[in-house]
Amino acid sequence: MESLGVAAIFYGTAAFMLASAFYVVLGRNLVHCAFALMGTFFGVAILYVYLGADFLAGAQVVIYVGGVLTLMVFGVMLTNRIYNLNLSSGAIQVVPGALSAGLIFALLVWIIQSVDWGAMDSGDPGPTSESIGRLLVGDYLLPFEIASVLLLIALMGAAMLVRRRRGSS
Amino acid sequence: MSDALQSLSRFLPELILMGALALVIVADLVTQRRPLKDSTNLLNGITLAGLIAALVTSWQALGVGEPQSLFASMLADDGLLGVLRPIFVLTSIGVLLLSMRSKELEGVRLGEMLALLLTVTAALMWMAGSVNLVMIYLSLETVSVASYLMVGYLSSDRLSNEASLKYILFGAVSTGAMLFGLSLLYGMTGTLDLYGVRAALAEGTFGPGLLFVVILIAAGIGFKIAAAPFHFWCPDVYTGAPTPVTAFLSVGPKAAGFAILIRFFYLGMAEPAGGGAIAPVGGADWQMLLMILAVITMTLGNVAALLQTNVKRLLAYSSIAHAGTMLMAACVLSVDGVQAIAAYLAIYLFMNLGAFAVVILAHRETGSFEIGSYAGFWKRSPLLTLAMVIFLFSLMGIPPFAGFLAKWYVFAAVISADLGWLAVIGVLNAAVAAFYYIKVLRVMVIDQETGPTPPLALSRLDVGLLVVLVVPNLLGLLFWGSLDRVTEYSQRLLDLG
Repeated sequence: MESLGVAAIFYGTAAFMLASAFYVVLGRNLVHCAFALMGTFFGVAILYVYLGADFLAGAQVVIYVGGVLTLMVFGVMLTNRIYNLNLSSGAIQVVPGALSAGLIFALLVWIIQSVDWGAMDSGDPGPTSESIGRLLVGDYLLPFEIASVLLLIALMGAAMLVRRRRGSS
Repeated sequence: MSDALQSLSRFLPELILMGALALVIVADLVTQRRPLKDSTNLLNGITLAGLIAALVTSWQALGVGEPQSLFASMLADDGLLGVLRPIFVLTSIGVLLLSMRSKELEGVRLGEMLALLLTVTAALMWMAGSVNLVMIYLSLETVSVASYLMVGYLSSDRLSNEASLKYILFGAVSTGAMLFGLSLLYGMTGTLDLYGVRAALAEGTFGPGLLFVVILIAAGIGFKIAAAPFHFWCPDVYTGAPTPVTAFLSVGPKAAGFAILIRFFYLGMAEPAGGGAIAPVGGADWQMLLMILAVITMTLGNVAALLQTNVKRLLAYSSIAHAGTMLMAACVLSVDGVQAIAAYLAIYLFMNLGAFAVVILAHRETGSFEIGSYAGFWKRSPLLTLAMVIFLFSLMGIPPFAGFLAKWYVFAAVISADLGWLAVIGVLNAAVAAFYYIKVLRVMVIDQETGPTPPLALSRLDVGLLVVLVVPNLLGLLFWGSLDRVTEYSQRLLDLG
């Protein structure tokens, strides 16, 4: 009975995520789309909880919902020209697009079914933040540092692009 | 922790580059209000000093000590990384010198460009050393982000913007595909370490799912080396980017892409079979995949290059064709192929940067990248024309120029691996390539310009730069022995041979 409840949570979350993702793609109003995206982000966070990844779930909410999404909504609202923009992304080449999407979907399903994923049961979920922290300053020290270099140049690049635009206008 | 500290001593070139990056950022801030010329000179000086220090340290580290893994098996400091480090730094030095002479970058604040150049040089080294799936993705992404920004550096230039946007879109799709492939591979094998992946693949059978994963990852690598069918960004990006950046993209990321290709396939998807040979594991026939990619890439690059009238587009397709030639060497399944790629890259650096140097210097005078604008160059500047003749003959692979040596390594490796049919396709492609290179030379030497033909002015720096780039191409055969000795280090891969 318990496993049925767990499965219901998973499929319910997945359906919710898919529905809001479809709205993001198909919706006409940019602000509505941004809010629909929030549903997808929350769904991912629920999936993380479902898998026992407490830290990732928290980070997902703080970074994506709290940071990225808020920034996007602000961006949309402060740019009055695109606030009322009617986003009708024209549908071209519906048949080839649907065919290739369906083909890739079928391929993925087939592969996910056919491969032995060596799934393991991690047992009772516990706090993961301590082991993540240890890995970040231990085995994964170099990737951690390189990620900071990546963020540095991304920040610098963003500042560079904005400043040039202002200078040239 | 002690492992990280010990690793630092073999991480010196990267550390120097990061130090120079910090200096450049600070110096750029401090000189913000000073005249452009002073600040540019200072920043160029810091960057050049950093690059030269990195060159010296990476040269000293070459071939010293046994292959060793650094930072808890994140990087492999082995012969391949050792050989590629100087290639990356030399590319960046060449690009820095070219950017000083480029008309497109004149009067532009170069602080960020130089910071990006230093970052991307270090990131190329991380790419070339990666033996962990996380490191492969992170370093590749760092190189990509820095490249997008360098391509779109001239933000008032529409072509540069368009090129940058196209590059980002293609890059996002292909690195997305690659990331998906990497995560599937992690799911299959349960490890991020390439050697762990190899061990897991050797034990189990994974069927067609693994081939799908390999294709996804090959898409990401193919994007970096501009191999068909992942090359569509290449001509537009090469045309729209500032020419020194184009020169950089055609050598640096391509070389690092090949390093990842070798590491992923030779170390992660194959096990040592004795005598430097390797045997694929896991049941995915990636040798066939690479051969198909090589044939498509060579043929498409060469045939499309025949139709080009813009010299930057022509060199873009030519660089695709050269990637195809190097891909042939990757199909060899032994360390001979690795050495062939290393030697090819070392020579390709000089011939391709040389060709771009001529394009940049010609653009200073003519303001055009059309091949037609090169008419009458023989009269206007015999020196520049002669240099271009040498670079293009070298790119064609005609003896006695160094390009012949590069092709020699590849074909020798391919033939010794009993892939004669692949070598035949390669030779046919080399013949096609000769057509479009000669087309450029014909315009320069034979065609007469209709308008006035003032002689082209070359500064001392220009002449010096051309001489430095010409000499390795001209005298390549004399240094065959040393090239062979140096690139032989690239065969000493960690845990192989």
